[in-house]
Amino acid sequence: MTTAPELALATRGLRKSYGSRRALDGLDLTVPTGVVYGFLGPNGAGKTTTMRLLTGLLRPDSGTIELLGRPFSRSDRRRLFEIGALVESPSFYPYLSGRENLRALAAAGAATSRRRVDEVLDIVGLRDRGGDKVSRYSLGMKQRLGIAGALLSDPQLLLLDEPANGLDPAGIVAMRETLRHLASIGKTVFVSSHLLAEVQQLADVVGIIAGGKLVREGSMRELLAGEGLVRVRVSPDEVASAAQVLARLVPPNHVAVSSSEAGWLSVQIAPDRAGEVNRALAESAIFASGLESGNDLEDLFLNLTQDASTVDPDGTFAGISGRTTMPEAH
Amino acid sequence: MRLFVSGLRKLVRRPATYVTYGLLAALLVLIIIAVGATGGRGSSGRSSAAALSIVTFPGAYDAILAFILGLGGLFAVVYGAAVAGSEWTWGTLKTVVARGESRSRYMLATFGAIAVVTAAALIVSFAVGVGAAVVGARLAGVSLDGIGNNDALGRLPEQFLRGYVAIVMEGAIGFAVATLARSQLAGIGAGIALYFGEGFASIFLPDIIKYLPFDLATAALGPSSFGGGGGPAGPAEPLSADFALLLVGVWLVGSLVVAAGFAERAEITG
Repeated sequence: MTTAPELALATRGLRKSYGSRRALDGLDLTVPTGVVYGFLGPNGAGKTTTMRLLTGLLRPDSGTIELLGRPFSRSDRRRLFEIGALVESPSFYPYLSGRENLRALAAAGAATSRRRVDEVLDIVGLRDRGGDKVSRYSLGMKQRLGIAGALLSDPQLLLLDEPANGLDPAGIVAMRETLRHLASIGKTVFVSSHLLAEVQQLADVVGIIAGGKLVREGSMRELLAGEGLVRVRVSPDEVASAAQVLARLVPPNHVAVSSSEAGWLSVQIAPDRAGEVNRALAESAIFASGLESGNDLEDLFLNLTQDASTVDPDGTFAGISGRTTMPEAH
Repeated sequence: MRLFVSGLRKLVRRPATYVTYGLLAALLVLIIIAVGATGGRGSSGRSSAAALSIVTFPGAYDAILAFILGLGGLFAVVYGAAVAGSEWTWGTLKTVVARGESRSRYMLATFGAIAVVTAAALIVSFAVGVGAAVVGARLAGVSLDGIGNNDALGRLPEQFLRGYVAIVMEGAIGFAVATLARSQLAGIGAGIALYFGEGFASIFLPDIIKYLPFDLATAALGPSSFGGGGGPAGPAEPLSADFALLLVGVWLVGSLVVAAGFAERAEITG
């Protein structure tokens, strides 16, 4: 495998099974250095398994991992000194304070100064509560402490599994600013999340995983603009007729009703042809109250993962969008 | 070293440390004070004299030590299992592994801290027991003349050391079982079951059971011990204290190798 040194993280053909269930099926991730990478996927898609493999908690069945430009396997544990990770829910000794927990964590792995413990408590806004026992922390505070733990060794690559879990809105904004700041000083932040709006605001690059495979990867700008999607809003009672009109402008399967209640339709068409969409509707006496070019991450995510989500045991994503695609005209 | 010191700090702050070993000391004090307060009247004849031996120096030293080293084994199993199991249950092992720490080194450092805390707890329990015995002797009107007996005091360090090694080995058994079970509760439960199960099995299989950890721990203390977990292995030919101590060492090292080896190879999914 050849990987450009500017990559912070790369996986090639990563496979992992739990018994007969295949969790990852040839995952190829390419994460450039100095970006915030949003790692998205429905429940059970393989996000946490990927995190566990990247942090040496699990051994892959096959495939390779490169961290910060060099191959990584579980026996190279010292490579993790340059990486900070929050895998699944944060784990602490409940009878110790937040500060004591971080000191205990600092004793493992890369050498870390005691001063750094207070620095990271500051970064996550927990300095005043650092002396409280973790058993008295709220979920959001534990999450912040988990992020503080990941930042302890001032890592070049930060792997965060659902870091916004349990955070209040102010905490989410603060976390976003912190992660953006880290990327701005050249560090790489790899964030798995199911909060699509949050990822859309945070990430520079997105990878979408479904059924253990990467189904799309690219810069956020490319993904949202390059799809050639125009979203149009009409009166809810005109949605059906608008869809018929638009189905004459583009192939019928390129028209989808995003929300019949709100009157949103999506048309796969180059954004510079948005005027044609508007004109076609106007000529049929349907007047758009909203017109947006570009893609929405949620639309893209649901499009890409819909097939996988229908087989997802918890059915989380089945039926969320309520979208319908126009049938082919005969 | 920093891992070991950190492990020690964690255990010193851990309520389970005080609950586990505090209970051992509390039981000892309760028994001694009860004996002293009743003056052995709860028993009669030879039984009464035997009961008062725990408040009669210099024999009280041996009795207190035998109590601590005998029952202490059970508490050590529970404590070792609680500490190792919580690393899996709370997910703290996962966190240090993701930081690049060596799994086996972390496990061994954690156990080293357990061993030190256990030593301190046994010394404190013994001191508390001796203090209680003094109070008990006064309550029972027993003379304290033998308290400075040089022979008895001279034997204590070796007896204590032998018993301590055996108790650490029993702690290692709990530690290894909880590591294999990846669970605090399962580890504690399995450790206690092994402790009592071995005692029960020794009735039927004394020649085999005498080589198992809890019987060996008792045998390593020598013939004067009160008996711990499994108790002396019934009618089987007893092992010499020195050979038993050697086998205790084998079990100790074996348990730690199993715990560290399992942690090193385990896939951490929780």
